[in-house]
Amino acid sequence: MREVTIALAGNPNVGKSTVFNALTGLHQHVGNWPGKTVERKEGRLILGEHQITVVDLPGTYSLAARSLEEQIARDFIVRERPDAVINVLDAANLERNLYLTAQLLEAEARLVLALNMADVAAARGLRLNPEALAAALGAPVVVMSASKGQGLAELKATLRDLVTASGRAARSALKEVAR
Amino acid sequence: MTAGTLPAPGAALRYAPPIETELERLVTALGAIPALAERYPLRWLAIQLLEGDDDLLAEAEGLGGPTVTAALAACRERLAPHYGEDLDVALVDQRYRFVHALAGQALTRPATPPLTLSDRIDRVVTHRWLGIPIFLALMWVVFKLTTDVTAPFVDWIDATLSGPVSAWATTLLGVAGLGGAWFESLLVDGVIAGVGGVLVFVPVLLALYFALALLEDSGYMARAAFVMDRLMHALGLHGKSFLPMIVGFGCSVPAIYATRTLDSRRDRILTGLLVPFMSCSARLPVYVLIAAIFFPSHAGLVIFGLYLTGIVVAIVIGMLLRRTLFRNQPPAPFVLELPPYRLPTLRGVWRQMWERTAAFLRKATTIILATSVVVWLLLALPVRGEGRFADTPVDQSAFAAVSGATAPVFAPLGFGGWETSGALLTGFVAKEVVVSTLGQTYAVADLEEEVATAPATFSEDLLGIAGGLVSATGDALRALPGVIGITLETPEAETAPEGLAAAVRAGFEASSGGHGSLAALAFLVFVLLYTPCMTTVAAARHEFGSRWMWVSIVGQFAVAWLAALLVFQGGRLLGG
Repeated sequence: MREVTIALAGNPNVGKSTVFNALTGLHQHVGNWPGKTVERKEGRLILGEHQITVVDLPGTYSLAARSLEEQIARDFIVRERPDAVINVLDAANLERNLYLTAQLLEAEARLVLALNMADVAAARGLRLNPEALAAALGAPVVVMSASKGQGLAELKATLRDLVTASGRAARSALKEVAR
Repeated sequence: MTAGTLPAPGAALRYAPPIETELERLVTALGAIPALAERYPLRWLAIQLLEGDDDLLAEAEGLGGPTVTAALAACRERLAPHYGEDLDVALVDQRYRFVHALAGQALTRPATPPLTLSDRIDRVVTHRWLGIPIFLALMWVVFKLTTDVTAPFVDWIDATLSGPVSAWATTLLGVAGLGGAWFESLLVDGVIAGVGGVLVFVPVLLALYFALALLEDSGYMARAAFVMDRLMHALGLHGKSFLPMIVGFGCSVPAIYATRTLDSRRDRILTGLLVPFMSCSARLPVYVLIAAIFFPSHAGLVIFGLYLTGIVVAIVIGMLLRRTLFRNQPPAPFVLELPPYRLPTLRGVWRQMWERTAAFLRKATTIILATSVVVWLLLALPVRGEGRFADTPVDQSAFAAVSGATAPVFAPLGFGGWETSGALLTGFVAKEVVVSTLGQTYAVADLEEEVATAPATFSEDLLGIAGGLVSATGDALRALPGVIGITLETPEAETAPEGLAAAVRAGFEASSGGHGSLAALAFLVFVLLYTPCMTTVAAARHEFGSRWMWVSIVGQFAVAWLAALLVFQGGRLLGG
């Protein structure tokens, strides 16, 4: 078993909490960020042989550190360097949500995009093209409607692939060093 | 559906060539400083520095010294001909262009966007004229739900704890051979009564959190903040602060925690200081008792007036604070998103209700339990007369001595008797305790009609509790139509027990020199405004720190004292 940390980032009101709850179930710990009055939620997710700590970052529109929430999210991503960041986006307001994505990319976070609220987007007549997005960003994209439980299995599968791949990469790097 | 499981390396976002050139140079310069290279992704750091992040610059200079300053200054100078002073704007702008292009690839929009149901609801709910009345009507429903509908359950819990549960405790102690001793009094009058005082709030809080969860999860709360924004600007706050204020009518404790939804620390503290002026539900029993004794024909008007007074005082204090303590801190810019309306899920609503109520219980139980025991001790300790420990008349207890010592503070306000000051002291534990202490100090046996303690069997007790729950549910269901203004039955008028009414009236007449009603009014205003209960104080300390906790304690006491003085002395001048 390897300790893996995954962070959840996204704008406010994109269903980030729903995704967090769906991933971690009842294995949650709610506290405060050190020295801050902002709630810090952490949960556990077991994926195969991996025990994953999922940290729910405060909902923010950017990583510019103008507010306490933005500062917390930014510091966590840049300093703690989680193994992956699930960027939850509101598919019905994609353009506005992608600004944070651009900043996460710049912060060299290893991204998994969760295009949430696909049902709402569909109801508005929006057609999503996740393949194009994945190709442009070089990151896996999962289409989901978390409140209806759709896409969660795919998200978990993607996470498992990512974690396993990084484990393999780490092991081969170790062999490299040993040699 | 998943796309693209193989992450390709490399940043996809490229800036204009002049900026990229400088970024490269800056990365090279920063990379020469190991402490920085270890801590931050360098390209990211370079972008933040060019964008003008002062905190990061200070940190980078701390680690890298003047090299960083010089390298950054050189980069900026070379970019000045291209972008002038607006380098940061250019960076953000180019990032948006990237995002726009990205969204164009990932999304195809319909030729004519359909007008969604959400948009149509918003046309009514955030309407220029209809918005505020709709909001007030909804708040009225929430208010009725948390007071009228939960009242039967509150009474049921209260009756269960003071009746069967206390009796069981007594019996158990008797079996264990500890009956009749001071220990029994501590357990029944101290622990069970104290914790019970917290437990009775559970139905109120569950109802409040239920309503709030519905309003939040449906997306309406964001509209409410939007609608109330202009009004709140008078207080130097913005619309989001309205939510904690509303919650404050139920209980100040969750209201203080609700300030977490605000963006800046200044707004959180300012709102947190104003929240306790909203008359919380625990103060209501005090109003009801005193108003029924002194103003029987205008009780409703007096109580409504008190609620209004709280709001007016909050507005005045808010404006004062904005011009004094918070003078140099402008309100944070108000960015509010109106999420589309969504149907709240049962699980989500229940989760919020339970999490918040449980948090309240954990915090409140410990502190209230401790204070109840202290008050019980003070009441049990005889300082004068013949009484023994745990068997002393109230007016000879240590509690009476402490109250008597503080009484002169309240003399100018017309209620300088030790009975009332004692009640105000215990009111710091929880505001509704004022009522029970008044009952004790005016030496009336018990406010609650004494439950005939015919030795009931355990199963009879259980049946009684279950029956009580059934009838409480029935009462609550009958109260439901009242939420939207339909009254099925006329509620019985609350009447104070005769003995207590006479004692309280005599007490106020004596302490005020014959202006009993005026003193009672001043007392009510004082109860409305004075230092919040200790659970609220603990919450304020938890959220804002000790300094602001003391501002709240001392400030509110001063405000209440001045307001009560104004009522009593002003009233006397006017010949009241």
